Amino acid sequence: MFYSEQKKQVSTYNRRTFFLFLLKLSLFTAVGWRLYNIQILDSSKYKTLSKKNQIDLEILFPLRGKIFDRNKILIANNEKVYDLYLIPENTKSINNALNDLSKFIDIDFAKRRKIIDLSAKVKKFEKIKIFENISWSTLEKIETNKYKLEGIFIAEDHLRIYPYKEVFSHLLGYINKPNEEELALPFISKMPNLDIGKQGLEKSFNPVLVGKAGQREIEVNSNGRIIREISKIDSVKGQQIFLSIDARIQEYAINLLQSHRAGSINVINIKTGEILCMASMPTYDPNKIIKKPNTEYWETILSNTLSPLTNRSIQGLYAPGSTFKMIVAIAALKYGIINADSTHSCNGKIEFGDRLYHCWKTNGHGKMDVTNAIKESCDVFFYEISKKLGIDKIAEVAEDFGLGKIFDISMSNQKKGIVPTKKWKKNTLGESWYAGETLISGIGQGFVLTNPFQLAVMTAIIASNGKIIEPSILKREKINFKTNEKYSKEINIIKKAMFKVVNENKGTAFKSRIDEVKFAGKTGTSQVKRISLSERESDDFRKKEQEWKNRDHALFVGYIPHDDPQYAISVIIEHGGSGASTAAPIAKQIFSYINKLDI
Amino acid sequence: MIFNKIKNLNYLLIFLLILLSFIGAAGLYSAADGSYNPWASRHLIRFYVFLLMAIFISVIDIKLIYKYAYLLFTFSVLLLISVEIIGVLGKGATRWIRIFGFSIQPSELVKITIILALAKYYNDIKFENIKKISFLFFPFLILIIPFAFVVIQPDLGTSLSIIMLGAFILFLAGVRIWKFLLGVIATIISIPIFLQYIKPYQRDRIISFLNPESDPLGQGYQLIQSKIALGSGGATGKGFLKGSQSYLEYLPEKQTDFIFTLIGEEFGFLGTIFIILIFILLIAVCYFISIKCFHTFGRILALGVASNVFIYVFMNIAMVSGLMPVVGIPLPLISYGGSVMLSIMISMGLVLNVELNYNLKKLHNA
Repeated sequence: MFYSEQKKQVSTYNRRTFFLFLLKLSLFTAVGWRLYNIQILDSSKYKTLSKKNQIDLEILFPLRGKIFDRNKILIANNEKVYDLYLIPENTKSINNALNDLSKFIDIDFAKRRKIIDLSAKVKKFEKIKIFENISWSTLEKIETNKYKLEGIFIAEDHLRIYPYKEVFSHLLGYINKPNEEELALPFISKMPNLDIGKQGLEKSFNPVLVGKAGQREIEVNSNGRIIREISKIDSVKGQQIFLSIDARIQEYAINLLQSHRAGSINVINIKTGEILCMASMPTYDPNKIIKKPNTEYWETILSNTLSPLTNRSIQGLYAPGSTFKMIVAIAALKYGIINADSTHSCNGKIEFGDRLYHCWKTNGHGKMDVTNAIKESCDVFFYEISKKLGIDKIAEVAEDFGLGKIFDISMSNQKKGIVPTKKWKKNTLGESWYAGETLISGIGQGFVLTNPFQLAVMTAIIASNGKIIEPSILKREKINFKTNEKYSKEINIIKKAMFKVVNENKGTAFKSRIDEVKFAGKTGTSQVKRISLSERESDDFRKKEQEWKNRDHALFVGYIPHDDPQYAISVIIEHGGSGASTAAPIAKQIFSYINKLDI
Repeated sequence: MIFNKIKNLNYLLIFLLILLSFIGAAGLYSAADGSYNPWASRHLIRFYVFLLMAIFISVIDIKLIYKYAYLLFTFSVLLLISVEIIGVLGKGATRWIRIFGFSIQPSELVKITIILALAKYYNDIKFENIKKISFLFFPFLILIIPFAFVVIQPDLGTSLSIIMLGAFILFLAGVRIWKFLLGVIATIISIPIFLQYIKPYQRDRIISFLNPESDPLGQGYQLIQSKIALGSGGATGKGFLKGSQSYLEYLPEKQTDFIFTLIGEEFGFLGTIFIILIFILLIAVCYFISIKCFHTFGRILALGVASNVFIYVFMNIAMVSGLMPVVGIPLPLISYGGSVMLSIMISMGLVLNVELNYNLKKLHNA
């Protein structure tokens, strides 16, 4: 290193060292000045604060966003109620405070335990809600005796109410206190007393509905009386959301389902993908879950073997039965197994392997082409074509029509069902696929499982000539779905057959036709219990009154109007008997009802 | 030889360290309601163990330290990464690793090895090269690797201090000022891109850090109480052990991050200014050693250590007095906590060592 170079370096170092030291000194001076301000100039202010008064930080809970249906009808609202709070800090002993309070309102042991536990968890200055939605008479008594009750105060609050009671329960869910895990979610920002959505859309839309907490810095004296407000940041209300659901249709559907023990009705607007109705039975009243005490109600829900908490539309898995025949027919047409005119003869059964496969019509349908096979729901025709197709091709088409899929509709608990393939069976059951199983699958029985909502989407895709429909639970403006051209020709044939199902004599749903606005569809009857040979031989086995849980599920899928489809429907009535007798009439009622509405 | 070295140690520096540790012990004694347990006694024991270690470090051959500077840096970064991996496996953020029964925060140690690595680097390159952009690449790497791992922990206080530390050292080494401005701009631009690539829960934590109002119960309240405690201390304070504990109960970190508040309440403005003055003196001694040193390695090392102490002190006081969001930076030698004390005492040992070897011309063994 040259001497001059080194000298230059040293002088740079020295200069910069000096500068850095000055920088640090000045930064220290800034902190010193800040301390001078707090400790000398403002000292008297802080001294008084520290002596007599204290500053409390009050969290202002945001009001939860309301939920509306597509026509701005309120379906989740907030109602003003009065709650009782306890501030542990303002009591000498929580136990004594609760003893005094128990003269006016009943506090059982478990409740007392819970309050004491909670008071240990939260910060001392934080208020604990001990009673919700107290009655007017209690309110009056406590208000007049307030001076005797330390640490207790009454505050206005809002209670979530669902005006439609059990009509929207599966869709909306309900709200409750967050659990440990949920407390860590960012939007709750550690408000342990804030009710948040625990199920359904209330849960999925928590980040939108919750809003933002505000805060109030208040000066309070030793009695807890507020002397003045120092600062206030208002809370920000949660946003409102508008569902795609039409409350009128939803309510109408629930009412129709009331006369059955279990089932589901789904209606989709084919043009927009909007879900207009998603009804599931049995249902529950979320208001009764929110209003405490709710233990009794919980018990009735949990002890109900039909599990009312299940949203059957997306969580109920059923064999699609004959509603699956459209998929099989499309596959057979697509892969050249048949054309529109090919026929098979049905004499009531076919033999395959060493087994007999029966058609629902014991004496057979005679000669059937694909249109008639759908119209009259001939099983033998579909045994024949699926035998030739193979399960994997059926599965491929089924998936193209939305079966086995989970949809992006903000519902986290969808069950995707099963679209069986050879690979699927090998992977899950470790067995190879038997050809006989293909036959059973061809009529939507066996391993095939779908949820009712998927069937509605499937129907919408067929009705729209293959549009890739993305369903939505939120209200949506015009949308243009892409079209999958792959099956255009096949769909055309199938749609004609679906028209005949409802509108031609001998069609399985002919009795349910509407003359003013014609609709198309397909019935389905999915077998729950295997029919034994002896039962089959007693020739009136289908008419016989069977035990409810052994009866077949009744299904119907359809769309209206048949020439320019607007709405697609799926109806499932658990153990409803047959699709034609139970499900199709319900679809008819819904369609007639929709026709009368102006949507 | 060794006795000679020990005789020549900078006893002013050692005295200042002892003084600070006593102030810390007094604060901790008060924080525990007038008891040596659980903090004050352990604080002092730790301090003396670490002081012995610092003296041991000061007599090590500086050439060895110089020689292994990069190795030490690499090792500390590996420790840091292992914490991150353990954290991922254990499904929770952690900043700690257990070594010989000690819980150590590698992010504290890494600051020291960053200083060592940068000091070695600038010692080795020619002065004329410092100006060149290509010679910024390596120092940049030294800073960005640990920074990245600390940021995703996420420990924003420490990552911020790594950046400040780097800026101080690079400035001293002679990097042109416009490059710093460029650096600031680049950082601002890269923040949104960076936020895109991290996991959502990490992003949430960072956002809630940047916007403490989203957690008003925690930090907002702490700050109000901290200001009341400081302010009510007034000019001379309420007296030792007479701080109104009722307030400090609201400070969950009274023995660590908010110890300055506690001392400020009991000893007033005089007490807080006294502490600041001691730290200024401590930093000035390091500066003095830096100026007097012949070799760049020692100069940067001493000044880097001084800057590190400065960053702790400044951020901590700015935090408790409400000038800055609460980021969880302790006050060195006063706050309770082993990792920071260990790293400060190691670095002080290094500064003492630099002074003993200030007149070396060459650090390489031929």
